[in-house]
Amino acid sequence: MLDTTLPDFLASDAQAAERDAVGPGPVPLTLDVNNVSHSLFIEPKTTLAEALRDSLDLTGTKVGCDRGACSACTVWLDGKPIAACMMLAIDVGSRKITTIEGLAHGDELHPVQSAFIAHDAVQCGFCTPGLVMSCAALLESNPTPTIDDIKAATSGHLCRCGTHPHVHDAMLDASRIRKT
Amino acid sequence: MNSFEWSSPRDIAQAAGVATTTVAAAMVSQSGRLSTDGVVFKAGGIDLLDLMKEGLLVPRGIVNLREIPDLAVIAQADDGGVHIGANVTLAQLAADPVIRTRFLALADVAGNSASPQIRQVATIGGNLLQRPRCWYFRSRDHHCARKGGEVCFAFAGENQYHAIFDHNGCAMVHPETSATALVALGAKLELTNAAGTKRVVGLEQFFLLPEVDIQRENDLTPGEILTAILLPPPAPTSRSIHIKQGETDSFDWPIADVAVALDTAPGGACRAAAVILGAASPVPHRAKAAEALLVGKTIDADVARAAAHAALQGAAPLTKNAYKLPIFETLVRRAILAVVRGG
Amino acid sequence: MTSADTRLQKYPVGIDSVSMAEIERRVPAGEAPPLPPNPQLAVIGKSIPRINGRAKVTGAAPFTVDVKLPGMLYARLLRSPLPHARVMSIDIGAAERHPGVRAIHVINDVVGRAVETTGQNTPAGTSGRRVLYVGDPIAAVAAVTPEAAQAAVDLIKVDYQPLAFVVDLEDARKPDAPRVFAHPVHGESFAGGNPAGTALPQQGNVRGPNKSGSRGDAAAGFADADVVIEGEFRTQVQTHCCLEPHGLVADWRKDGLTVYMSTQFTAGIRAELAAAFGLPLSRVRVIVDAMGGGFGSKSSAGNYARAAVTLSRQANAPVRLVLDRHEEQIDSGNRPATVQRLRVGARRNGTLTAIAIDTYGTSGVGLGAGIGNFAQAIYDCANFELVQSDVFINAGPGCAMRAPGNVPGAFALEQTIDELAEKLGMDPLTLRGRIDLSAVRREERRIGAARFGWNRRRAPGSDSGPIKRGLGMAQSLWGANVRTNSACEVRIFRDGSVEVLSSVQDIGTGIGTVLAQVVAEELGLRPEDITVRIGDTEYPAGPPSYGSLTTASITPPARNAAYQVLRKLIEIAAPSFAAAAGNLAARAGRISTADNSRSIGFREAAAQLPTDQIGVVASRSDDYADFARKMGDMASAQNALGGVQFAEVAVDTETGIVRVERVVAVQDCGRPMNPLQIESQVQGGILQGISYALFEERILDRHTGHMLNANLEQYKILRSRETPAIEVHLLENYQGMSATDAYGIAEPSNIATAPAIANAVYNAIGVRLRQLPMSPAAVLAALGRIPQRSGPT
Repeated sequence: MLDTTLPDFLASDAQAAERDAVGPGPVPLTLDVNNVSHSLFIEPKTTLAEALRDSLDLTGTKVGCDRGACSACTVWLDGKPIAACMMLAIDVGSRKITTIEGLAHGDELHPVQSAFIAHDAVQCGFCTPGLVMSCAALLESNPTPTIDDIKAATSGHLCRCGTHPHVHDAMLDASRIRKT
Repeated sequence: MNSFEWSSPRDIAQAAGVATTTVAAAMVSQSGRLSTDGVVFKAGGIDLLDLMKEGLLVPRGIVNLREIPDLAVIAQADDGGVHIGANVTLAQLAADPVIRTRFLALADVAGNSASPQIRQVATIGGNLLQRPRCWYFRSRDHHCARKGGEVCFAFAGENQYHAIFDHNGCAMVHPETSATALVALGAKLELTNAAGTKRVVGLEQFFLLPEVDIQRENDLTPGEILTAILLPPPAPTSRSIHIKQGETDSFDWPIADVAVALDTAPGGACRAAAVILGAASPVPHRAKAAEALLVGKTIDADVARAAAHAALQGAAPLTKNAYKLPIFETLVRRAILAVVRGG
Repeated sequence: MTSADTRLQKYPVGIDSVSMAEIERRVPAGEAPPLPPNPQLAVIGKSIPRINGRAKVTGAAPFTVDVKLPGMLYARLLRSPLPHARVMSIDIGAAERHPGVRAIHVINDVVGRAVETTGQNTPAGTSGRRVLYVGDPIAAVAAVTPEAAQAAVDLIKVDYQPLAFVVDLEDARKPDAPRVFAHPVHGESFAGGNPAGTALPQQGNVRGPNKSGSRGDAAAGFADADVVIEGEFRTQVQTHCCLEPHGLVADWRKDGLTVYMSTQFTAGIRAELAAAFGLPLSRVRVIVDAMGGGFGSKSSAGNYARAAVTLSRQANAPVRLVLDRHEEQIDSGNRPATVQRLRVGARRNGTLTAIAIDTYGTSGVGLGAGIGNFAQAIYDCANFELVQSDVFINAGPGCAMRAPGNVPGAFALEQTIDELAEKLGMDPLTLRGRIDLSAVRREERRIGAARFGWNRRRAPGSDSGPIKRGLGMAQSLWGANVRTNSACEVRIFRDGSVEVLSSVQDIGTGIGTVLAQVVAEELGLRPEDITVRIGDTEYPAGPPSYGSLTTASITPPARNAAYQVLRKLIEIAAPSFAAAAGNLAARAGRISTADNSRSIGFREAAAQLPTDQIGVVASRSDDYADFARKMGDMASAQNALGGVQFAEVAVDTETGIVRVERVVAVQDCGRPMNPLQIESQVQGGILQGISYALFEERILDRHTGHMLNANLEQYKILRSRETPAIEVHLLENYQGMSATDAYGIAEPSNIATAPAIANAVYNAIGVRLRQLPMSPAAVLAALGRIPQRSGPT
């Protein structure tokens, strides 16, 4: 792996980096998910979506395309929505992950979740957890979004059933709920 | 996706030299059997994971650059321009107040790429270095010239999203709208090699046409790290815009995108012009005839129309993409007028 | 029916916004009594929140992809990388030796496509199977991890003898084209909305013509016409793109087979697997809880489910097989492409004298690239001629997709009618008023035109700037379909709790919520008092979720079961409060006399049950006015479903970009059971229609046979920013046909959208788009704005 032509001062750094290399076999790592620290023993190639679903049984995060093109797997990384299928679990580091299972406070649903139910912004429900995470993240950063803000925040989501109009209704309603 | 070794150095010196190959080199094979020896750099990792999941890249190791703090900073440069660390995410760029006020074309591009989820993770450096989206290139079942094969399948095949300029041997289009905007803004790249030496190269010169090298899109050498994007200070009288046209507005690659930057004298005559077409050629395409036509003129609707027409000079559409010509012509005209009217 | 086991009842009939009347029907004795119109009901017709909404918004809803069983193995399929080849040999030795591999199955008998009547796709004298398209499944491996399964798949050595292939529809029609099938084929398919036909001529890759459905004398009709409109229309292949991939966990045990599967038809999968594996129906159980979309593509078991069951039997362990997105795109069904040549003849007053349609299309290696019964049935025209042919290409087989046949059929006919109206100098609504005998659509046109502001419509191409706006409308027709083989049980427990049970599955339409509403209405309870158990063949066999027949098929059995079990409860409980059983009804949680003078709480009544629970299983009777058509378990009621949609578009004539800005839909589905859920369905139908009209297209490379956009990035689908303002108006259309008088909505809402957009595009730019999708390239070409330059190739 090491380029023998490296000058000495760099070679030592490179060697240090190489010594730090882990894998390809399973590696111990911790993931902070929904404010709980989990110890895992997984390969570096494990995606965050796989770690959540297969290692932690947090199956609310759905994988629709496994290429970041449908956003069904949306979770929060330090409060911002990301595609869990396009991030390696080992790359999360000490950042905080929030999944759909961590959005409600006990039995009390997040206002976006309640609004989704009230407006029937749910059909088959497979894209729903990801959409809810994007919508909730939008409200955290912008409590009074316009319809264009809502469309922008959900533009990565593929909903084949076509819940978009009811998602828009739900979000406008949820933003009103939070204002009052 | 294959199993691999992982390291995550904390500074450039530690990282530089660890990687043994570029992603482009690791994807070339004569027989279709890929090398599994390569060690490659990763920034946001969006394109890298995509390539690996498709089985187009099978590295032995990944060196993660994402934990290097110096690379994620947007800073004022000594010349009054802006220094953008290569690990700055697209979301960071789109939200940055300096970028939003002084380089709106770039902020627009960053805020309209891919999806909000991808923009949180994708870096500007990785964005500029991503591999083409050509569907033949992205298919393991098509061993195309860019991957060491014999032919470009697009010429005789489905080329509706392919190049209308400079497709000499390969008809890919340069995929990144960010590059279109950054070339128009005169951006330079700072590259750091294994010896810790930095070189600065114009972004426009960094990209390579297939006739120069059909197996790589740019002049990145093995072990070299793209560390920063340098934006020169815009003249106070200059303005820029970027327009992206996808078939959908939500989540789509451009079928055409255009960046225009104009420096217009207070009296009205155009002093300098950059007209760059994206998704048109294997590299960001500078429409020199259009630029020449604009400079020295007071731009009105007729001038804009003439320049837009000139922007397509030399275009050689393929069997299924001549429809891009009127779209580019329209976007160039609208972009020029939008810059002029905005000023 | 004899009068002894029937009775006469008066039913409300009519459209709520037009006029209501009563009609007397003779119905079976066990039928629940007539329901009044919705405004007089407590639960039915109300927008009750989805019962599994909470589970779905919290991520708790269990989908098939979430099922994990102890000792479960993971399966992957080996698929053909070639569009056409003979498999000379398959060597599984290295795959078998790979660590973690537990079973390997070589697939010899394939299903879901046309089958050669002789030779089973194998030319005489050879033993190897032919693979017919990229993605054709060849073998399946089960291993302890998905990685091990994939590694083993990669180790299977197949010796292919490549054969000439064709994937282009027009190339395939040529006499010298490579032949997909060497011998005559047969098979079943509803990909085109109608049976594929039997004993049809076959020449090269063309099977047909199929002339069934014709009537009258078209030639005479055209001779009689003052005006004839002709046009050729092309529609593309659309893929289903269910967000949850096709998949299952098959668990073969000595005492029977259990299958957890993402399916639209649990009872159908049970029957299919029982037959395929020689098991009694009683030993096969199929389960689906939350289900991530099907749109027609998850109606049968297919090759992948058979492979998973075989692997489970071999490995003696549960096997999970879930397709990836690439496999979804190339081998999970698709809506066939069509080319339709239409001729419509009319008199000056608009009266239609003849409709003739010559159509061909491709369902890949499957049958049924038809255009449904839209043109055949929607307008009053004595002379109708239909000539349909299938063209085979080396591509994955099509299957039914939301309103199969009628979607491409309506795209062609509704534009032709629009063109006829213009030629006759009539408003498109006026013309339809003359040729459309449906009273339902008449009212829908009236309401829609008012809500939409149809009077704003101007002459084609009226806007002077580059961005031109236009208005258009189109109509829908779909059968009021029913599956008579549909049953439901309602149980009352001693503590007053209530269960409704059926194998019917909720694929996202909300049928579970509707069942709770129906039972709650009948028992005088709240929907949340009803426990809904569905999606499991342990319960009485329910209908499929396709054909827009679920609500029509399962709500009458549910209501009858609730009614009958309530009569039992009442007979037990009536003596306790000195009431005559025949005079009692359930409402607001109590069982009361008609005058409300005496009553007993539902729970108190239930406490008197002699056993822990009582239950009644009821099934679906024929419609009260008989069916219009009946074939085996399937039937269509006489009241076909309508629907009218209006679209407003903006066309950028310089870029070719079309955007839909507003859609008004007026739809009917008999008695609306849950208006909010129906609105969701209609919005979904419209959005899929817009996506079909503007964006979606399977792209095959004619030189390699591969699908190039087999993903969700380059296969383009409408998302949030392409979603227009949508207004949905529902008619209440009472026909007195069944115990609930309710019908489906999913498919009727998907038919009129594409032609309404196309008519609006014409109104905007004055040029007609006869091809889908209406992409920028297609629009610019139609406008003559693409320069004719020849580039290097």
